[in-house]
Amino acid sequence: MNNGETLLSVEHLCQYFGRNKAVDDVSFEVKKGEVFGLVGESGCGKTTTGRSIIKLYDITSGNIFYKGERIAAGTLSYKEEIKAAKEAYKEAKKNGTDKAKLAEIKADTDARIAKAKEEMKAAMKDHKKHRTVTDIQMIFQDPIASLDPRMTVGQIIAEGLVINGEKDKKVIDEKVYEALEMVGLVREHAGRYPHEFSGGQRQRIGVARAVVMNPEIIIADEPVSALDVSIQAQVINLLDDLRHKMGLTVMFIAHDLSVVKYFSDRIGVMYFGKLVELADADELFEHPMHPYTKSLLSAIPVPDPQFEKKRQRITYVPLKEHDYSVDLPSLREVTPGHFVYCNDAEYEKYRAQVAE
Amino acid sequence: MKKKLSVKNLVVSFRTPAGKVQAVRNISFDLHEGETLAVVGESGSGKSVTSKAILGILAGNSIIEGGSIVYDGMDLLKITEDEFYRIRGDKIAMIFQDPLSSLNPIMRIGNQLTEAMLLKGEARQKSCKDAFNSTLALLGDEMVAVENNPALKEMCANFDKFEFKHIELESAYNTAKESAVEVVDEIEDVLFYIEKNAFKDPKYTLEEIARLAAATVNEYVVTGADADKIKALSAELKKNASADVRKKDYTESVRILKEIQEIIKPVLEKEMPDFFSMGYFLTFSGQKLPQMPVSELNEYLLNYLNEHFMNEFKSHVVKALENSAKRHMELKAEAVKVVEANRAVLESDNMDKKACDAAIDTMVKAVEASIDKLEIRKDGVAYTFASTIKAAVNTYFEGIPKNAKAAKLHDKQQKKYDKLVAKGKTPTWKVTPSTAVDLDVAKATITAAIDRLLEHYEELLAGGNARDFLAETDELILFFKENASGSVHKVTKEMAKHRAIKLMEEVGISDARTRYRQYPFEFSGGMRQRIVIAIALAADPDILICDEPTTALDVTIQAQILELINKLKKDRNLSIIFITHDLGVVANMADRIAVMYAGKIVETGTSEDVFYSPAHPYTWALLSAMPDLETEERLEAIPGTPPNMIYPPVGDAFADRNKYAMQIDFEMQPPEFKISDTHSASTWLLHPDAPKVEIPQIIQNRIARMKAKGGASNE
Repeated sequence: MNNGETLLSVEHLCQYFGRNKAVDDVSFEVKKGEVFGLVGESGCGKTTTGRSIIKLYDITSGNIFYKGERIAAGTLSYKEEIKAAKEAYKEAKKNGTDKAKLAEIKADTDARIAKAKEEMKAAMKDHKKHRTVTDIQMIFQDPIASLDPRMTVGQIIAEGLVINGEKDKKVIDEKVYEALEMVGLVREHAGRYPHEFSGGQRQRIGVARAVVMNPEIIIADEPVSALDVSIQAQVINLLDDLRHKMGLTVMFIAHDLSVVKYFSDRIGVMYFGKLVELADADELFEHPMHPYTKSLLSAIPVPDPQFEKKRQRITYVPLKEHDYSVDLPSLREVTPGHFVYCNDAEYEKYRAQVAE
Repeated sequence: MKKKLSVKNLVVSFRTPAGKVQAVRNISFDLHEGETLAVVGESGSGKSVTSKAILGILAGNSIIEGGSIVYDGMDLLKITEDEFYRIRGDKIAMIFQDPLSSLNPIMRIGNQLTEAMLLKGEARQKSCKDAFNSTLALLGDEMVAVENNPALKEMCANFDKFEFKHIELESAYNTAKESAVEVVDEIEDVLFYIEKNAFKDPKYTLEEIARLAAATVNEYVVTGADADKIKALSAELKKNASADVRKKDYTESVRILKEIQEIIKPVLEKEMPDFFSMGYFLTFSGQKLPQMPVSELNEYLLNYLNEHFMNEFKSHVVKALENSAKRHMELKAEAVKVVEANRAVLESDNMDKKACDAAIDTMVKAVEASIDKLEIRKDGVAYTFASTIKAAVNTYFEGIPKNAKAAKLHDKQQKKYDKLVAKGKTPTWKVTPSTAVDLDVAKATITAAIDRLLEHYEELLAGGNARDFLAETDELILFFKENASGSVHKVTKEMAKHRAIKLMEEVGISDARTRYRQYPFEFSGGMRQRIVIAIALAADPDILICDEPTTALDVTIQAQILELINKLKKDRNLSIIFITHDLGVVANMADRIAVMYAGKIVETGTSEDVFYSPAHPYTWALLSAMPDLETEERLEAIPGTPPNMIYPPVGDAFADRNKYAMQIDFEMQPPEFKISDTHSASTWLLHPDAPKVEIPQIIQNRIARMKAKGGASNE
């Protein structure tokens, strides 16, 4: 199923809200047909990443490519480049460089600024061209808050079709019924209102709304965390069936690690806006490298009383674990397909661990 | 183990426009001291309703149809709101599911955290004092009466005197010792942060350490020359703090901190003196304390106390207790007679309110006289008799006019309904039922209450409950000790603040000092949940009810908070009711598990029972619906949704969703089958005639995996 074709690629994504760096320089790729899991504690930027991809926010910096085409771009990196160029020139001027050299630097700076401006223009053009991407759909966390209480289920599911210019009522109805049946509801439900459904059924409506657009990628943002265990299993099984039936690619955002492990092929771990580790699901759970991942895995509750009574939780204190005062960290590939956010010294340490 | 809380035959319904929803249908369970009972089930299974009934905060449209919840000799379903004030939050606290609606939006977090501590601190001081004084007076009277020796009264007074000396010494010691532990902790943290160049809020922290260090000076903690040194160092640290903070250079502070650490660290190893004996020695011997190591001193003091006072005092107490028990036994026999004589009035076919009230008065008086107040373990049945019977009779008499009203309404609506039907329309509303209160049930409750008391008393009279007076004497003395320490334990504003900030840090809120002054809207959902948990823990309760406390949190914080709750449970011998639908969390927390479905407990057992040999199909379904880290196979979702509890099914409520359901499951409710002493389940599959059904494969696999690991830890 996983034929290695990259469907979605996120490069240096930054999403700042004022001074709050919700997502800071995150890069990853999602391959066609896979389930990509994103985990981390609340507030670490997983949801923001998902929302940035479907363009609910204008991203601050970085690029997002879908099928090789740039669908979103931010401008901060270009602005910073321009600022840096200007500053370099000022610095040179202050230091009293001789005139000939100064003119040379000035020309160089102008070229740099012009290039950055041009790139920024191109980026904004791409960014504005794709107002929305119907091929990427999202399932939201809260099935109660994400459905308009004054619209019937049929209207809710059909809304996307209507916005995209579908006018034939028959076609719309047909598609809505098809979507309803696909998620295990019946045609009659189309005429009812959201409040008439139970939590699990509401989440199914959310799923139907996403699949009716016939998307390539579904971003499922904590689709089961608001549901009861028994209903959770229904929704997970449903997503699994749909994925196989429609050949979907899924980006699965959740904080319940057992569910993510069960459902995902590859998993990315986020911590305070940074992607700290990225690997195949089994690899990640068997050989976690980043101390935060280790701490996260040690905290997973397991339905086994004897195990639980002996469990040793590993705490993660960034200050104790890393010394990033000189040697700055970045995301590096330690073993094929296994990326860890680390600096040179840690990289060597991890490599040594793997070699053992 | 001591029973803390006992829920018996609890039935709770809700009146809704669509009809009566039967949320809890006859459940019973006990909660013992120091154990965690996990209640597991889907939403709507009645878990939260049960916990809210225990806390007396059911919604206005609820009807408690029957049952009792006995805590500390009180039936929580029957006591008045005023009495509940003393229990709620103080004795029984709850961590709520929804942090949004359980915080006050216009009060600072700090005030919300300390409010309860301050108020309850005062109230507890008073109630402890009352309990101590009244029980001691009672004991004194009894002692004097038994041996006809007024001198014994003085003995009690002496006990009172030296007990207070004991508490005075001990509380001073505790403050110093706690400060010492904290100082060592804090200094370690500060040194680490200074080294890493990430020292936050330095001025406050350094001054706090200086304050704490000064507080460690005590005769048995930091003594002699060390005490003077610590005082000097503390003053120096405080003076130096501002300068260091300004310079951003902490070398001077680090030197002082290290010196303090060196002095205080060895102190932590010191043994605690026996202040109880010491209190007596200092009050009555008129001598100075002999100079010797603490362990020898303790022995010496204990011998002195036993020789001069305790042995004699105990022998008198035993006699008093025995006599009191005997006297009250006679009164109990008397009470049985009175109740027997008067019960006819309450059970006749046409009851009269006045006659009933008079009968109840006589009965209650007799029963209350027969309660032995010197028995520390309260006799729940006797204590709750008055409130139970009064409430039952009131329900009956209030029900009569209510029923008349309901019948009128019913007739009117029925006519309207019939008219509409005759016109060929189908009305969308339902007719309200003709009876609001089932009078037969109300009468049955009265009979049951009387029967329960009589049965209990007859058992006692027949010697069914032999008492060990020596053990009871020790318990009584312990009771005095505890109450005495409670009555001098004062919670000051500064202490409350310090504790609140500590608690906030414990539940994982960073930068607690700034957060302390913020309002709830400045916190995220997870953070608010942590505040709610901190508030519940701040009151230092006896029973803690956790209603899905960690569902909204992520795993690391969840693990942290569960560890915190477990630690508190161990430290304070807390009893916990833990409500959740996450079985992973249950495995971590629970000693015993009750699985609830549609308002009934379908399976109950120790956590090993339920996880390693589940018996009810619903438990199977719950276990197999949840993936763990090794699950590869397709999950087995439970089909359908829980039944509508306005029309509860005739048979087993789970039958519709159960693939192992048999014919009888649709026709009759299964009784509770006992599997072992600790394990029982209500399913027809356990009936001897039922076909043998294997546990589903997915669970068998998991159990095999767990057994193979043998509970190996994850290290």
